[in-house]
Amino acid sequence: VHNVETAFWMREILEQGAEKFAQSGVSGRKGKRYFSVSGRVAKPGVYLAPNGVTVRQLIDEYAGGMMSGHELYAYLPGGASGGILPASLADEPLDFDVLAQYGCFIGSAAIVVLSKQDSAKDAAVNLMQFFAHESCGKCTPCRAGTAKSVGLLQKEKWDLPLLNDLGVAMSDASICGLGQAAPNPVRCVERFFPEELNS
Amino acid sequence: LTTFLLDGKPISANDGETILQAAERHGVAIPHLCYTEACARWQLPRMRRRDQRRRCARAIMRPQTCRRHGSLSANDRALHSQRMVLELLLSDAASSGMRRADSELTEWCSKIGLTGSRFVGREQPAPDLSHPGIQVHLDACIQCTRCVRACREVQVNDVIGYAFRGSHAFPVFDLDDPMGASSCVACGECVQACPTGAILPKLPSYV
Repeated sequence: VHNVETAFWMREILEQGAEKFAQSGVSGRKGKRYFSVSGRVAKPGVYLAPNGVTVRQLIDEYAGGMMSGHELYAYLPGGASGGILPASLADEPLDFDVLAQYGCFIGSAAIVVLSKQDSAKDAAVNLMQFFAHESCGKCTPCRAGTAKSVGLLQKEKWDLPLLNDLGVAMSDASICGLGQAAPNPVRCVERFFPEELNS
Repeated sequence: LTTFLLDGKPISANDGETILQAAERHGVAIPHLCYTEACARWQLPRMRRRDQRRRCARAIMRPQTCRRHGSLSANDRALHSQRMVLELLLSDAASSGMRRADSELTEWCSKIGLTGSRFVGREQPAPDLSHPGIQVHLDACIQCTRCVRACREVQVNDVIGYAFRGSHAFPVFDLDDPMGASSCVACGECVQACPTGAILPKLPSYV
């Protein structure tokens, strides 16, 4: 994919050679990447870090730690579509292969940090409202799927069988990535934060 | 001529034929609502690559088979999606069967045995009765855009457009004007194209 960041790194790689670029990187990864860190951190911002960095390193070594009075609870590894992971997975390298096994992806490397004062369930509702707003309205699985999902998520008790039925069709049948990835946060809440659904 | 596997059975497709067309020729009914033969003739050569996710638009280029997807076969997942899409449409356009006895939505739902929807319906738009010859009831609209393509591509009138986003997206006349106040020339192509009776003749038989 020729995104802006790929184009940006091309110059350095061409001028200094691929080996120089590949020298950075941790946990067996190569190269570096710009990570956008936002949410409950002391210094939100865009940070240049080696590929393979973990969210805990990004928070502690780049973003000035957590905001005072906040403790890490969960994080979004890749923007709105990339899913939500619990603090217990904060030491995993942020990369495609590792995140894929959790049903998540790094996407544009926009990390959102949630603290114990937040709820993953509330975040998932907010994200689905965002997808419903962003849906272009062309294909039914996304247009109607995101709108119906918002309705289902705003209920006190989530109807998980119906949400899963709908999510599978949205992922399989939506024309573009927006509808395909929209059910990700909901799936993550069910998988990693089941205690929030019981209360 | 290309042979491909449909529901596990090999069938042959002519050059340039889409999956939908080949299946239909072999007597396999794949539910479809936004596709019409008239629009396809205009549209297929202009189709962008990402639209080829839609079966109607994907020409069969080489032998293809079902892909396995987790524990469910690709075929089961495809059938699941078909049913879910119809269930979503049924929840929003429940009035479709009421507006037209031969509603294609009602027809496909009954073919796959779908009698109701588990979803809450949308807030319905008000009817537009401003035109002397055509009545518009968008509570039966399924956003298939057949009216848009009929107006723009078949008749080249370009009066109907698809406006707004997400679940607010609906076909509009000119700049969302009442149909009677728009530049519509009453050719009736949209009435012919509509699969659910959202756009109907203003006749006593359609109320």
